[in-house]
Amino acid sequence: MADGSPSLKIALIGNPNSGKSTVFNQMTGLRQRTGNFPGVTVEVKEGTLRFPNGNEATLFDFPGTYSLYPTSTDEKVVASVLANPSDPYFPDAMVYVADVTNLEKHLLLFTQLLDLNIPLLLALNMSDSASELGIKVNASKLSESFGVPVIPISGRTGHNTMRLILELEKMVNRVPSTVVRVPFYPLTDSEKQVSEAIRQNLGVVNPYRALLLAHHVAWLHFLTQPEKETASAIISTKKFQSLRAQVDETLERYDRFIPISQAAVVSPPAFPNTPTDRIDAVLTHRLGGPLIFFAVMMLVFQAIFDWSVYPMDWIESGFGALSVFLTAQLPAAWYTELLTEGILAGLGGILVFVPQIAILFLLISILEEVGYMSRVVFMFDKTMRRFGMNGRSMVSLISGSACAVPAIMSSRTIGNWQERLITVMVTPFISCSARIPVYLVLIGLAVPAVKLGGVLSLQSLVFGAMYALGVLAAFASGWAMKRWLHRREHSFLAIELPVYRIPHWRNVILNVWEKVRAFIVGAGKIILVVSIALWGLSRFGPGDSIEQADQLAQTEAQQLNMDSIESEGLVQQRRLEASWAGQAGKVIEPVIRPLGYDWKIGIALLTSFAAREVFTGTLAVLYNMGGAEADINDRSENAAKATLRERMKNEKFSDTGKPVYTLATALSLLVFYALAMQCFSTLAVVSRETGSWKWAALQFTFMSLAAYLGAWAVYVVFS
Amino acid sequence: MQRRYRTIPDLKINESARAIAFDDSELACKLTSMGLLPGTRIEMIRKSPFGSAYYVKADGVRLALREEEAASILLEV
Repeated sequence: MADGSPSLKIALIGNPNSGKSTVFNQMTGLRQRTGNFPGVTVEVKEGTLRFPNGNEATLFDFPGTYSLYPTSTDEKVVASVLANPSDPYFPDAMVYVADVTNLEKHLLLFTQLLDLNIPLLLALNMSDSASELGIKVNASKLSESFGVPVIPISGRTGHNTMRLILELEKMVNRVPSTVVRVPFYPLTDSEKQVSEAIRQNLGVVNPYRALLLAHHVAWLHFLTQPEKETASAIISTKKFQSLRAQVDETLERYDRFIPISQAAVVSPPAFPNTPTDRIDAVLTHRLGGPLIFFAVMMLVFQAIFDWSVYPMDWIESGFGALSVFLTAQLPAAWYTELLTEGILAGLGGILVFVPQIAILFLLISILEEVGYMSRVVFMFDKTMRRFGMNGRSMVSLISGSACAVPAIMSSRTIGNWQERLITVMVTPFISCSARIPVYLVLIGLAVPAVKLGGVLSLQSLVFGAMYALGVLAAFASGWAMKRWLHRREHSFLAIELPVYRIPHWRNVILNVWEKVRAFIVGAGKIILVVSIALWGLSRFGPGDSIEQADQLAQTEAQQLNMDSIESEGLVQQRRLEASWAGQAGKVIEPVIRPLGYDWKIGIALLTSFAAREVFTGTLAVLYNMGGAEADINDRSENAAKATLRERMKNEKFSDTGKPVYTLATALSLLVFYALAMQCFSTLAVVSRETGSWKWAALQFTFMSLAAYLGAWAVYVVFS
Repeated sequence: MQRRYRTIPDLKINESARAIAFDDSELACKLTSMGLLPGTRIEMIRKSPFGSAYYVKADGVRLALREEEAASILLEV
């Protein structure tokens, strides 16, 4: 939780697909941010709610859940917070958002919340759709029956948002602030015994909350060890059958609230064949469904590729210009270089990917808002399960083509731990945006620009093949991990397919902003630190090796009659070779020689650990591009690429005199970059999401192994 | 008492039947919380492209269920 945020806490709770997020956005506008629930790696959106009287409260958008008997990490959040009055997120009041067009399906959780005796307000969302469908809602009757304020609202149109806030204000200002209600669900005798015992031994006041503790003792983190033992003892003594009791309680609650709901909400007979049904007949067609999906994906990737060129070039040139400006204005010292080549270059390297990532998440977000993603999960669940994952993993894999960091975070909706783990471990194999500059340079270098049959560009084919390699590696690893891990936890598909709707643009934009921020802040911080560290390693060397290299370079430049730009380039080149990074490159050369690489490529491999696209910039320095290093990643700067290609073609191994950049070496490098784990940000996110460093370490090891063996195999085959 | 049941995989396209009980208590918990209860009318709409998931309507709410999930819901004959 942010420091300085208002101390009054209000929770927004509801089913998935209740339109809760739209309501959240209506109530908080742009005054929102994302954080993490402590102890669980689930995101919480929090925002500031302003009351008319000037007071403020913090509004939390809890993950959507169907009941306080949860089945995924997301869903556990609500139960675990509400079970613990000392939890920092424990609310002072709650707003329950229900879809009034399907009210019966939304009341289970609502009645459970009633029994917790926390101030509660029922918001009947989608009341605009209800009127369109001819559904009549008697809010005051519901209010009478449940004993809480009930307000029809529409997250989409904003109808009654103000009334909701006013009602909320009245509720929180009420004295006394505690509520005691007649329990909606009367506990059975055996439940009463368990609840009483827990209340006495653990000091819990609310009877229903005591029962929840009994149900969830196995995984509630806030309970101390003695508390857990006491609770477990009570459960076994009373022979409490948790699952059985949960089902019976659920059924009993339904029996009690369905009559209430039916008395207050009157729907006309539903038309059997709605637009959603007609659309799904096409989109989930046995043959057509998957085909349409792949076509949509092709379009999405084409769009990303085409649209992101312009903003990417602007950002590149912008940073380039800034760097030149600063170099001119500031004295020529190491700190100037740190600023321009370390920090600015690092920042530029991060921001240049924002357009691609933003566009990908824009398109994915639209597909989700519209309701299509759940259909994708439905169609591909079986296929994904073969590879140890879940239908929901599709979303992570697709997002991974922009950036693995937000992709891995989106795996949180997967309930089964093993499926989630495998998704997290294999997602980085999917070729992300950062690999693209590397692919382009190497393909341009080694693959002839011919068109097969006069139509299909060979270069595009190889480019596509690299993506295919990533996808293949991801699925193969998934399959292998599935065999290796043997956990037999219960895994669910059971997903609701919401009615198709026009995307709510505010939701989409806010969603994209969240993901981009996650990338910039999460991945960005680490990339920046690593960039600076690698700058240091490339700029400084053991002893006075740098100074010596300087002198030698200048002498050499004079002898060869180089102009000032060229000789400056030579100085840079020799410095890099003499630096710590250069020494490291020479040290690892024997190891990478079997793959067809020399020590210069070794240096580039090492520097790419800051960010994969640093590879091309490093090569540019190594092959003395003069001033053209800055242009090398610019997609439209074909001249710079052509120069680099020429230089690369002329590189020779010092001992054999044979050319370095043969087709074999280039392909081997391509495969290496496709499969290698060269992203500290990803490793950091993986260890955070899996709760320990061991999985990230394992991932690094097996991806490096895959990259080495793959590159080696390709080199051997093609040479 | 031997009751005869059908399950969703036994239904033909667009055929519907009422749910009576559940075979798996963990699944029961998940499904009931989503609104699929004893007494709910379930209509089989279609099978997934690769054949192992079902698109059904439970009292009008559209759900996607795996084969084993669908098989655990006992329907009237």
